[in-house]
Amino acid sequence: MEEKELIKKAQEGDRNALAKLVKQYEQTVYNFAFKICRDKERAEHTMQETFLSMVKSIKQFSGKSKLSTWLYTVVSNHCLMMARSNKKHLHASIDDEDSLIDEKNITDWNISPQRIAENDELKDILNEAINKLPPDYRIVFMLRDIQGFSTEETGKAINLSVPAVKSRLHRARAFLRNELNNTFSYGT
Amino acid sequence: MAHSHEPTCKDVMNHICDNLGEDLDSPKCTEIKNHLEHCDKCQKYYQSIKITIQSYKTYQVKITDDVHRSLMDFLNLDDCEE
Repeated sequence: MEEKELIKKAQEGDRNALAKLVKQYEQTVYNFAFKICRDKERAEHTMQETFLSMVKSIKQFSGKSKLSTWLYTVVSNHCLMMARSNKKHLHASIDDEDSLIDEKNITDWNISPQRIAENDELKDILNEAINKLPPDYRIVFMLRDIQGFSTEETGKAINLSVPAVKSRLHRARAFLRNELNNTFSYGT
Repeated sequence: MAHSHEPTCKDVMNHICDNLGEDLDSPKCTEIKNHLEHCDKCQKYYQSIKITIQSYKTYQVKITDDVHRSLMDFLNLDDCEE
């Protein structure tokens, strides 16, 4: 059954259609929430709240945007709320945009992304790097670069101006690349 | 790029961080593209940014059966499982 049809049935009160929509998106929403929250329990809680919002307001869903876009908007804002209430974790300061690019620190990266994603040790390095990034930057990086939102869509989802999205994306990309550079550069 | 002088490596690297995935065919990007094509250092930087993004894209955290069940239970949809 096509997604549009499932949404229509769910709006008419068909619980099986609603369950199918949840199943269709639970993996992507959980994966997204985990990468922002950096904790399994918090990711699970955020995912539950996101789908509860969907269940409660599916009747109001107009279909003007994709359901996935709407879900990412909801999960992003739940993640940000969660992050703001959990200020114990210290993040790196990336205010100085200019210092993020060091021309002396350019090396060959002779490694495939697939190998990184399949190797537990390398996955830990990805985790460590993104963990240092403040959540406001993580969200922008995730929406824009990982989920493929446009700059405008990213700004709309988390209520940021286009220049603010661009600035955060710039810093997030440069910061993560620097963090991974020692491990992924040629010869290591 | 608003300047009339040739872009430096730092300009190009900043541009990569700003605009990767955006319209690199726009006229203002021509100088950047020309530089990138001929500069080994900037190509390496470009490649490293691309691998960074692709690595996070490829790395997926899988949902477990327990987490799935607890979600369906939380939403009162546990009786809708096929």
